[in-house]
Amino acid sequence: MFEFIVNYYNYWMYIGLMMIGFYAMMAKRNLVKKIIGMNIFQSAIIFFYISTSVKKGGATVPILEYAHGHATHGIEHGANAIDVMQYANPLPHVLMLTAIVVMVATLGVALAVVILIYRRYGTLEEDEIMKLVRRG
Amino acid sequence: MTAQIPVFIVVIPLLCSFLTPLVGLWRKDLCYYWSVLALSLCSLASIDTLFAVIQGGPIHYRMGGWAPPFGIEYVIDHLNAMMLVVVSAISLIVAIYSKRSVEQELPDRAVYFYTIFLLQVTGFVGIVITGDLFNLYVFLEVASLAGYALVAVGEDGAPLATFRYIVMGTIGACFYLLGVGYIYVSTGSLNMADVYQILPDLYHSKVVLTAVAFLLAGLAVKMALFPVHVWLPDAYTKAPSAASALIAPLMTKISLYVMIRVLFTVFKPALFIDLLPVADIMVWAGVIAILGGATMALAQTDLKRMLCYIVVAEVGYIVGGVGLANATAIKGAILHILNDAVMTVGLFTVAGIVAYKTGRHDLSDCKDLFRKMPFTMAAFVVGALSIIGVPPTCGFFSKWYLIHGAVIAQHWAFLVALLLSSLVSVVLFFRIIEIGYVFQASHGEHANGAEHTAIDEAPLSMLVPTIAIAVAIILIGLYNQTILSNIIDFAVPKL
Amino acid sequence: MKILSIIAGVLMGAALVYGSLDMPKWGDPHSPASTHVSPYYLQHSIEHTATPNVVTSVLADYRGYDTLGETTVVFTAGMACLFLLGKGRKRQGK
Repeated sequence: MFEFIVNYYNYWMYIGLMMIGFYAMMAKRNLVKKIIGMNIFQSAIIFFYISTSVKKGGATVPILEYAHGHATHGIEHGANAIDVMQYANPLPHVLMLTAIVVMVATLGVALAVVILIYRRYGTLEEDEIMKLVRRG
Repeated sequence: MTAQIPVFIVVIPLLCSFLTPLVGLWRKDLCYYWSVLALSLCSLASIDTLFAVIQGGPIHYRMGGWAPPFGIEYVIDHLNAMMLVVVSAISLIVAIYSKRSVEQELPDRAVYFYTIFLLQVTGFVGIVITGDLFNLYVFLEVASLAGYALVAVGEDGAPLATFRYIVMGTIGACFYLLGVGYIYVSTGSLNMADVYQILPDLYHSKVVLTAVAFLLAGLAVKMALFPVHVWLPDAYTKAPSAASALIAPLMTKISLYVMIRVLFTVFKPALFIDLLPVADIMVWAGVIAILGGATMALAQTDLKRMLCYIVVAEVGYIVGGVGLANATAIKGAILHILNDAVMTVGLFTVAGIVAYKTGRHDLSDCKDLFRKMPFTMAAFVVGALSIIGVPPTCGFFSKWYLIHGAVIAQHWAFLVALLLSSLVSVVLFFRIIEIGYVFQASHGEHANGAEHTAIDEAPLSMLVPTIAIAVAIILIGLYNQTILSNIIDFAVPKL
Repeated sequence: MKILSIIAGVLMGAALVYGSLDMPKWGDPHSPASTHVSPYYLQHSIEHTATPNVVTSVLADYRGYDTLGETTVVFTAGMACLFLLGKGRKRQGK
């Protein structure tokens, strides 16, 4: 049972975070709270990807000069083979660097749109805006 | 040099969009001509690629020279090549059309408009041309961000509509990213062809099942499948005319293309037809979308809003056609992607002309338009006949294949939905034609024939593209067998 | 709306938890993600790109096109903010 939890709890954590973000996006009335929920939602997905890049058994950052104990000079000549098990998986980190930038860009555009809404209606609560829209 | 032409399709709008603000700093009026130039080169490159693919088979282009799956690869097969031509040609036509409309609606910000216009086109062609799952997400976000910006500067109420569009669009893109993440965790690769090789051993894994579910859910939000279509009517109605003429035909069709790509090139078709009941669900989703879209369209009093609900119904045709899972229906669905993009841009350009002339796009603003703007309304009638499905317009042929496919699969609900929606379209469009012809009371009082309503036709830069699209609708209908036998027959997967 | 969101959230969360049962164990060094494409990057990074930082070499060389796309996203967002909030808006809505 404990084994089971230890092997899978990172997935459950990201699912919990994602559902918190989803609830905030759907159920909150304030527009800025919806944007914060959207951010939490996207952060949960980034969290999921990064958590899959870990390798148990002492893997370190994927920079080739920090292997445990071996000098890595002379790699070009094939003198020391690189032990892949000693380095974490670099690909999810790369993908998530891009995804974080996309998340921030979307946040920026969403906030610009919220500024436009505020200029027009004077409030950021969704139900008050609906009342103003209905009044014409 | 000619080997590099496929990459020009993406790189030309991209680099030209980076340079547009500089061009605008120099002379503001040049931005329009600069974007038309960029999109013409892009269209030429995509037409050249289409002919290369027809003659020589699929093209594989490696970005940076790295072999797949270690690098990013462009794969252009028949489906891709056709979509590229559709996207770039429609973008070019809308760019030519946009001059007067942008001058009227966004006079002080034309420079940024054309920059974001080119970025939007870059996003669209980037999505269509790529063979890598994560690259598709990046360009999907480029297209989405540009779309949010273009829609938000429309009429009163546009920012609120855009806010809902942003929230729902981000959910869709994030579900897509989650699906890609699940595929990556179970196979270790992001390249579509590579995943196709590795996945069949894993079809019974729950991870793949979840990946499929989230990919399709994310794409369903992006393609405005009923009932997650709620962002579409508000956003496209309140957008500026040129923006809605660009985004409304293309965004949903490109998401449909991605769905076909994911279903048939990443996963084997057998997964959806035999192992999972996805195909049946898709047909029923299509039926509901068609009926829902048609019903809501009947209730509208605003021209553009009515057209938006017609777009929702058309998405239902294509999703249902793909779900029927026989070769005829899929042929009809792919042909319908082409036809619907052309028909929708035709109708939205006419709506934009009405808005340019009268300032609003209500149904009652169509009064007496047949006398004031005969050419525009002729183009409108051609588009309307195509949506109804009257030969020789292109809409008839794709509907014919879809009906034939429904009969082969013996799915009578889908058949009834198709026929019912044609009837509803007749009602919708003849209502508009009646308003356009009959309302002459205010001008008929004077002496017979002495009082003529002056022909107040749209300016040439808006009129010529609209008529060109009407001619294209008829030509695509007349030449549909050529298109089918040369392009679409190769795009249908072996089932 | 709140109750509907909670129900939708719980259902989606349950579906995701069900889907995670077949996932590779956390940190498994023999999972498909760690053994299919990534070893190539680690083994050939110095030879192809002379960069010991493998994340950099993947980001800028092997998958450099994604980085160009990311730059485009930043540019688009900047242009969008200028477009939406720029000066010269004399009229507040139409």
